[in-house]
Amino acid sequence: MKSENPLALRATPLIRGAGAFIVLAGAAFFMGDYHNDVYRKLLLWVTLALGYNFLFGVCGQVAFSHFAFYGIGAYSIVIFLFQLHLPFPLAAICGIALCIAFALAVAIPSTRLEGFYLALVTLALGQLFIVVLNEGGTVTGGTGGIANYRLPEIYGLRLRGPWYTAVIALLVVATYAVLVRLDRSWFGRACRAVRDNPEAAAAMGVDVARTKVIAFTLTSVLAGIGGMVYAFVDNTVNPPIFGIENAFLLLFMVIVGGAGRHAGAVIGAVLLFLLPFWLSPLVGHHHALVFGVLVVAAILLEPRGLIGIYDRVADRYKGSPSR
Amino acid sequence: MKLVAMLAAALIAVAAQAQDTIKIGVITDRVGVSKPYSEPATEGMVFGANEINKKGGVLGRRLELLVEDDQSKPDVSAALARKLIDQGAVFILSVSLSPATQQQQTVTMEAKTPQMTPMNSADYLTTQLDNPYFWQTGPLGSVQIATLLAHAKKQNLKRVALITDNSDLGQAIGKAFRGGLEKAAMQVVDEEVVPLGATSATPQMQKIRAANPDAMFVAGVVTATNVLIFKAYRELGLKFPIHASYNLSVPIYMTAAKGLVNGITFVDAYDPDKPEVKAFEATYRKETGKEPANLHGYGYDGIMLVAEAIKKAGSTDKEKIRAAMQSLTYGGVMGAKGMKYHFPEGKRTGFDPNGMVVRVYEGDRQGRVVHVGQQ
Amino acid sequence: MQDFFELAVGAAASGCVYGLIGLAYLLIIRPTGIINFAVGEWAMLAAFGGYVTLTKYEWPYPVGMAVVLGLMFVVGWATERVVVRRLVEGGAPLLAPILALLGMLVVFRESISVTFPPDPHPVPDAFGIGRLELGPIGGTYQSFFTIVTALGVFIGAWLFFERTVAGKAFEAVALNRRAAALMGIDLTRVTALSFGAGAVVAGLGGLLVAPNISAHYLMGVPLAIQGFTALVIGGVGRVAGPLLGGLLLALAEQLTVRYAPVPAGYAQGVPLVLLMVFLLLRPTGLLKAKV
Repeated sequence: MKSENPLALRATPLIRGAGAFIVLAGAAFFMGDYHNDVYRKLLLWVTLALGYNFLFGVCGQVAFSHFAFYGIGAYSIVIFLFQLHLPFPLAAICGIALCIAFALAVAIPSTRLEGFYLALVTLALGQLFIVVLNEGGTVTGGTGGIANYRLPEIYGLRLRGPWYTAVIALLVVATYAVLVRLDRSWFGRACRAVRDNPEAAAAMGVDVARTKVIAFTLTSVLAGIGGMVYAFVDNTVNPPIFGIENAFLLLFMVIVGGAGRHAGAVIGAVLLFLLPFWLSPLVGHHHALVFGVLVVAAILLEPRGLIGIYDRVADRYKGSPSR
Repeated sequence: MKLVAMLAAALIAVAAQAQDTIKIGVITDRVGVSKPYSEPATEGMVFGANEINKKGGVLGRRLELLVEDDQSKPDVSAALARKLIDQGAVFILSVSLSPATQQQQTVTMEAKTPQMTPMNSADYLTTQLDNPYFWQTGPLGSVQIATLLAHAKKQNLKRVALITDNSDLGQAIGKAFRGGLEKAAMQVVDEEVVPLGATSATPQMQKIRAANPDAMFVAGVVTATNVLIFKAYRELGLKFPIHASYNLSVPIYMTAAKGLVNGITFVDAYDPDKPEVKAFEATYRKETGKEPANLHGYGYDGIMLVAEAIKKAGSTDKEKIRAAMQSLTYGGVMGAKGMKYHFPEGKRTGFDPNGMVVRVYEGDRQGRVVHVGQQ
Repeated sequence: MQDFFELAVGAAASGCVYGLIGLAYLLIIRPTGIINFAVGEWAMLAAFGGYVTLTKYEWPYPVGMAVVLGLMFVVGWATERVVVRRLVEGGAPLLAPILALLGMLVVFRESISVTFPPDPHPVPDAFGIGRLELGPIGGTYQSFFTIVTALGVFIGAWLFFERTVAGKAFEAVALNRRAAALMGIDLTRVTALSFGAGAVVAGLGGLLVAPNISAHYLMGVPLAIQGFTALVIGGVGRVAGPLLGGLLLALAEQLTVRYAPVPAGYAQGVPLVLLMVFLLLRPTGLLKAKV
């Protein structure tokens, strides 16, 4: 056991999760409209980064389809609710089922591919998804996307403003809890084994293909659920959100924060999402260039991600010579 | 003691002055795909705001532009709209991507803040959402095609081909063009799309050649892709006439498509012989030392319209500005001679449907206006 | 049929450009295993170099081309020196330099974006605008020039790897870095040279395609994807792989548009579907490496 703090020992995961939720959701009630909006989008990025970190950092699969699944989730809930007029729970279940079906269809044949071949397949998939959105006629609304809808009332209540932010906070905490538990279970160890050495993992009795398929499907469905939540952030969905550019940004977030570390994904997502907001007033349109330089510098100076700095500080504080 | 009083007085004066400005939000794109169009429009706005401020501002107060860069990302764009509203902007001008403008609308509708796009041309911006706080003065795709067809009436076109690119505006304009062609009872014998990043448009042009149209309509709005189309047209030695969207009106074609554009007919919202345009270009050159183009005109007209609306409202109350904007009639730089922006009967598209002009490339130069309006 | 021959020349020229970008990847992958997605931005840099030297200052084509390609060698060498060497010598996992170069992609693109206006910049054809007819086959001067130049580069690369000691050194490094070092091969120099050569080849691709697509701040990523696709289809095992892959990709793209009975908007999706199917059926590429 690493933890020496008696308080931490007594705090069960449930209590810690509830505490995190209260802090994250409560913060929203102290913010204005603008900060709430940025905060909502930031929390969604954090959710995406957590899922992507599990796929890429823990399981070692480089995929660029994460935003396609985010988009499938967002578009499907809107289409199911407002074009097919399904009740909300059914629409959500159908949306998740759709994500699972697509994820399996991609994952099962792709697990034979290694490293950047999977990247290329999913890159093609991501581009194909945008083509379909643009050509989808009245179903997807073409390039203009779909607008003019609102979150349905549940028991006469419509969640909005900071209350909707609370929903997203719940999503972040739940995603984090699920992924951390999974990471510490036999499945997480299997994923890391598959990432580090597939042959050895197979020799130890891990079903490499099945592990990859499950990890891909699971994280893709998490992205899809995130997309469903996103659909009601601005009450509009349109193709540019789900493009390849954002998929690259997600990869950068996980790398800069520290691949394979949940806290790293959070740090990376927060930093890179907010960077343009901070830099733009300071350096104008040079902010994108500064962004690129910072990413390269982070990789060069901290190959294990910014979380590596924290590790060193923590180690020094503890005086542990082990690392 | 005296010093403190003086300091306090100075502080109050500064605060009063700061409060005295009328804040106008501008959402533009400085790094993304819309940059080639957003940047000049924003420069036009800045120039216009300076001109207004030199003449004493609006309601005796200076206009202050709060410019934000959304990187052509619609979700960021919506967040920035909230930021501008929080900072006290009484009007938001949108010159980024059309989907970004659309996503800002979800915010301005909720916050009841007037918003206008002086250059986005996608028809869906005012049809998808019923947002009484939003106006569009960019020339619509449907107006572009109607104007081109009115000019081409003499040619008695029956079979036509349509080509566009896969950018979001290219697709939207393509859709509007197809609607206009079908409305005019023309047979669209072939429809092609040149994707961004393509290295050749020869197969698309071969297919159009095989369909043997009387004319080809270019709805594309990405200059690099349009240049590919015209290259293939020349290489294949094609002869049918080309009628193109307002993208051909940007001056870059004169250098980027040297030897390729002679004889191409295009629709424009800008008449260089209009007295207002001559005056605008002369002062712009004098003030900035740079050469203005129609893209600057869109932004300039945008800020002028907003200033007029605030003047008419007589206050910076958003509801009063909304009412003033809806009943505004204003003649600016853009549009045919004598054209006025107006929003009759609750319409929120302000570019006069008869206000576009048709011009023809003469060599590499954009020629004079040869046709006006939809008649 | 006439259409097909006409299309064949243009498509072959496009394919040769994809092939050159693919070769740029390959030159770097061979000795180092690093996939460098910034090759597309190198092509963009060279295209802008072409704009400055050939359009703005109107230097003679061979002079402008030589200067630009020379500078590209420096760019490639410097990229390796500044970004890659540290990571490789520090023993970082292979993914680290790949991701650092992905970051460099942003740096290159944004450097151009803040330096030049966002409009497309024209770059001239090597021999002016005109058509050459060889029997049933016809195409522009630039198409033929692109094909001939690319073939020359590929033959050169093949001769280098097959026939020269230096080429064998590259190969040895590719097979086993430690063993190669023991044999007295200077790993650092081979890596630096491979980046320099990769930048020159990618830059050549950019210069050749620029008259068609113009020099443009967003031109890099599509080229990087097309080149990588060409490489994957052809396989990294042989020098001719990317050329074959590029030609197939360009033909698939252009023949689909011309002949496939699918709506125009979806035509751009067909090569993507083909690529996915191809990868799933044949993940090692068409050409197998020699054993």
